[in-house]
Amino acid sequence: MLTGEGLREIETTRAQEDSSRHALLTALRVVQRERRKVGPEEIVYIAGLLGLSPAIVEGVARFYDQITDTPTGLHVVRVCRGITCYLRQSERIADDLKGFLGIKDGDTSPDGKFSVRLVECIGDCDHAPAGMVDDRFVGPLDEQALHTIREI
Amino acid sequence: MPDFLTRHIKDPGQRKLATAVQKGAYEGLRRALTMSRQEVVAEIDASGLRGRGGAGFPTGRKWSFIHAREGQSVYLLCNADESEPGTFKDHYLMAFDPHLVLEGVAIGAYAIGAHQAYIYLRGEYASVAATLGEALSEATDAGILGPNCLGSDFDLRIALQLGAGAYICGEETGLIQSLEGKRAYPRVRPPFPAVHGFLREPTVVNNVETLASAARIMAEGAEAYTKLGTKQSAGTKLISVSGAVERPGIYEVEMGYPLMEFLAHEAGGIPLGRRLKGIIPGGTSVPILTADEAAPLTIDYESMQSAGTMLGSGGMIVFDEDTRMPHALLRIAEFYAHESCGECTPCREGTGWMAWVLRRLLAGEGRPGDLELLLRVGDNIEGRTICGLGDASVQPVRSFIQKFRPEFEALEPAGMDWPAWQIHGHGPRTGRFGPPVEEAARSQPVEGSPDYVL
Ligand SMILES: Cc1cc2nc3c(=O)[nH]c(=O)nc-3n(C[C@H](O)[C@H](O)[C@H](O)COP(=O)(O)O)c2cc1C
Ligand code: SF4
Ligand code: FES
Repeated sequence: MLTGEGLREIETTRAQEDSSRHALLTALRVVQRERRKVGPEEIVYIAGLLGLSPAIVEGVARFYDQITDTPTGLHVVRVCRGITCYLRQSERIADDLKGFLGIKDGDTSPDGKFSVRLVECIGDCDHAPAGMVDDRFVGPLDEQALHTIREI
Repeated sequence: MPDFLTRHIKDPGQRKLATAVQKGAYEGLRRALTMSRQEVVAEIDASGLRGRGGAGFPTGRKWSFIHAREGQSVYLLCNADESEPGTFKDHYLMAFDPHLVLEGVAIGAYAIGAHQAYIYLRGEYASVAATLGEALSEATDAGILGPNCLGSDFDLRIALQLGAGAYICGEETGLIQSLEGKRAYPRVRPPFPAVHGFLREPTVVNNVETLASAARIMAEGAEAYTKLGTKQSAGTKLISVSGAVERPGIYEVEMGYPLMEFLAHEAGGIPLGRRLKGIIPGGTSVPILTADEAAPLTIDYESMQSAGTMLGSGGMIVFDEDTRMPHALLRIAEFYAHESCGECTPCREGTGWMAWVLRRLLAGEGRPGDLELLLRVGDNIEGRTICGLGDASVQPVRSFIQKFRPEFEALEPAGMDWPAWQIHGHGPRTGRFGPPVEEAARSQPVEGSPDYVL
C-alpha cells in the first residue's frame, strides 16, 4: 500500500518510541500523503501495521482535518478563511479559484488534479489572503498566484 | 527597535550551522551547561521571562515545578502548533533562525532534566519542520545536540512531530494527547503536566518564542533582559500584526512600547487614510479594544490587563472603520465552533450556538432577545469547561457585542425588549439551548435544582 519511503518514515518514528501508538499520527499523515485519503481500507492497513484496533485508528483519524476519508486531488490548495484573510475576500477568491480550476461540484476538479479547501488561519496572515499548495505557502492569492497554481 | 531575539533573523545563511555559530548560536547552551540545572532555572526566573504562548506564566517558575522521582523520565515539549488566528511569529522564528529555537529547546531540557524533547508543529508547517530538521541534523552531527551535548555529560534527543489539522493541539494537554497518538482531547487539571504529562511523566510545555528567548537570556545574562521592558513584563515581545495596516508582518518590540506608536511607525498606519475601529491585541481569544480604549495603552501584560484584555500570543489584528463587526464576529465564532474538540458540553454546544445565533441575525432571521441570548450562552460556557478554548470563544463574542452594540442591535428585530428568559421560556442560567432541544428547554426547571445546569 505504501512506498518504501513512507514505510521507512513510519518505522523510524515507531522505533524511536516505546509505544507504537505514538507513531499513529505520523502513519496517518504518511498514508494521507501517499493514498490521498484514509478510508476504511487504509484504516485496516494502519491498524495491522501498528498492531492497533481499527476502531482506535478510525477514532483518531476522524479527529484531524487534514486526514480525509474521501480522496483529495493530487494537489491540495488551501485557501485561508481566518479572520484577516476573510476580511480580504478570501471566500470569494476560493470560489474564483474553483471556477478557474474547473471545479464544479464538491471541492475536487474532475481530472482529480486539484482540491480546493477553505481552512482556518494557516499562520501566514501577513500575506492575506493567504493560501497553500500542498506544503508551500503561496499567498497573497492575487491573479498571478492563481496562474502559478494552475500551472503546477 | 530592539533586536534581542531577532538580531540575526534576516542574516543570509542563518539557517546554516556554520553561519549561525559564527554569530553566537549555542553560546547560551554552552554557558548553561557549565551551570547546575538549578542555576539555569534561577537565571531564567531572575530574567522575568513569561510564557509567550498566550497565558504569560513565568517560565522559571514553571520549570521549578519539575521534581522527578527516581526512575521517572522528564519531557520538554516545544509548542509550535501556532494556530491562534492572527498569530504567525513562531513560523518566522523557526523558518529563519532554527538554531535559536533548537538552542532554546536544549536549554529548557537541561534545566528541567529532560533527555527527550519534542517540537510539535502544526501540520501546515511541514516546510518549517523540514528547515528545523536540517538544522537539527547539522547540530547533532557537530556534537552540539544529541549525546554529550557540546562535550558535556548531558544527553538530549530532540524529535519533531507534525500535527494533522486541529487548533486544540496547541492547548498544552491537547498537545500531549496528540503526541501520544490520540485525539487531542484536553485533560482535566489537576494533575498538571508538571506531575502527570506526556506518557504520565513530568512534562513542561513551552512556546517556541519562550524557549528562543531563554536561549538569548542564557547567552546575554538575565540582567540584559530585565534592562529591557517594564517591571512586570521584562524583555521584548514578537508582535505579528495583520489586517488593516500598511506593513503587516513580524516586529520585535520592547515591552512597554506605546501601541499607537507601533501602529503608526512599525505597522505603517492604516491604508487609504481610514480610521482605526478596533484592535485585537493578542489573537482572537482575547477581547477586542476600541480605538479609544487602545489609544493610551502600551504593549505589555499589565497595560493590556488594565484595559480588560490580554497581550496573549501577540497576534495583533487591526480593523479599520469600514469593517462590519457582526460579520467579523461571525467568522471568529465559526472558528471556535469548528475547533471545539467536543469533549465538554458547554463548549461543544455553546460555540455552535453562538455561531448559529449570529448567523441567523446576519441572515435577517434574528429574534428579539438574540443579543442577550448570545451573552448568556457565553456566561454559561465561561469557567465551566475542561480547557481554555471555551473561555476563549466567549471573549470575542462578549467584547464585540458590548463595544459595537449599535451594529448588532440594528440586526435584532425591534419592538419587543422583553428579557430573553421570558421569550425563551426559562430563567437565566437554567436552560439548555440548541435547535434540537429547544422544546425540551421550554419545560420547567426541576424544583430545587441548582441555578445552573450546563
Ligand atoms: C485553545 C488553546 C490553544 C492554544 N494554542 C497554543 C499554540 O498554538 N501555541 C502555544 O504556544 N500555546 C498555545 N496555547 C497555550 C498553551 O496551552 C500553553 O499555555 C503554552 O504552550 C505554554 O507555553 P508558555 O508558558 O511558553 O507560554 C493554547 C491554549 C489554548 C487554551
Ligand atoms: S473547552 Fe472545548 S476545546 Fe476545551 S476540552 Fe472542552 S470541548 Fe474541548
Ligand atoms: S488569517 Fe489567514 S493566514 Fe491567518
